[in-house]
Amino acid sequence: MRRLVIVPALDEERAIGGVLAELRTRAPEWDVCVVDDASSDATGAVAAAAGATVLRCAVNLGIGGAVQAGYLWARDHGYDLAAQIDGDGQHDPAELARAAELVESGRADLVVGSRFLRGGGFRSTALRRAGIRYLVHFLRLRCGARVTDPTSGFRVAGRRAIGLFAARYPSDYPEPESIALAVRSGLAVREVPVAMRERAAGKSSITAGRTLYYLLKVTLALLLLPRRSQPSDPSA
Amino acid sequence: MTSGPLLPRSLQFAAAGVLLAFLAWVVRLIRQERLSVRDSLLWLVSTGAALVLTLFPEGLRLLAHLAGVAVPSNALFALAILYLAVNALSLTLAVSAGAARTRRLAQECALLRAELERMRGEGKARPGPRGDAHP
Repeated sequence: MRRLVIVPALDEERAIGGVLAELRTRAPEWDVCVVDDASSDATGAVAAAAGATVLRCAVNLGIGGAVQAGYLWARDHGYDLAAQIDGDGQHDPAELARAAELVESGRADLVVGSRFLRGGGFRSTALRRAGIRYLVHFLRLRCGARVTDPTSGFRVAGRRAIGLFAARYPSDYPEPESIALAVRSGLAVREVPVAMRERAAGKSSITAGRTLYYLLKVTLALLLLPRRSQPSDPSA
Repeated sequence: MTSGPLLPRSLQFAAAGVLLAFLAWVVRLIRQERLSVRDSLLWLVSTGAALVLTLFPEGLRLLAHLAGVAVPSNALFALAILYLAVNALSLTLAVSAGAARTRRLAQECALLRAELERMRGEGKARPGPRGDAHP
């Protein structure tokens, strides 16, 4: 099993070194691919010095385009598993193993790490929590996806999901939409509980003022999902 | 309802003149290679149609009648707005297609650059399995 962790990073020079060091000690069996989305700081250099493969975007692609570059790398190099964790240190790499196990045993094509399956550990504004609850219900109504944390950036994808995401991946605010895309394409999507830590450095890309715009944009994207390309799997 | 000429002669000439000048401008931009034929086709066709309607305003009256518009000049306004909206949408389509291509190209560049860096690293020192091993 060849395993790759995709770490999208924008201006994370202060956090990325720690994330990579932790990956090396807590998830040593994973190769690491940092996608530097045209950072204005030394993110790419720090990551390269730490020994990671660095995909340097010449222009800022946004989180979706950056993550997709990682899936393209995974597909082109024949990886069996491609995980995705944030470049700011919010996720614990030790939790990759459990998610990977679900994919390796054939029980899932895409595993999403949920902050809500295990109580506590994650606090957020009331508006964002309400927004997430709304997305959970909307995703279930729209395409039958059963997830509790649709905005989570902690993912493990198997070969089928890698192929799907390399070919098409939503561009901005891609997390809920990519779940819908996977379910629609007949992939089995499951969740594992993950703990969420304070960011090591940097700020969330979704500030309070943008939450409503985020919800509107994601709602529209989910309403206008392209027609399903393959018959969907009802057990997904 | 008006039974006389829909457009006064002078206005007809002025409008045709403006449209012709616009067409000439578009053609000039194409010849200078600042505008591609592909992107300008809609402008040429729609401006040509507007020119025909200006020269033969009876067509406008017929259109207004068919669409149930009482005053032919209102049909003219509606057509003008439609003309702008269609051209703006076609422009947005071109922008979206361009953005998707740019994204794909930037990704390809990033992949190639990473390949290159990996090959250089291998050339320098450590032989062994293709650098996929965890550092």
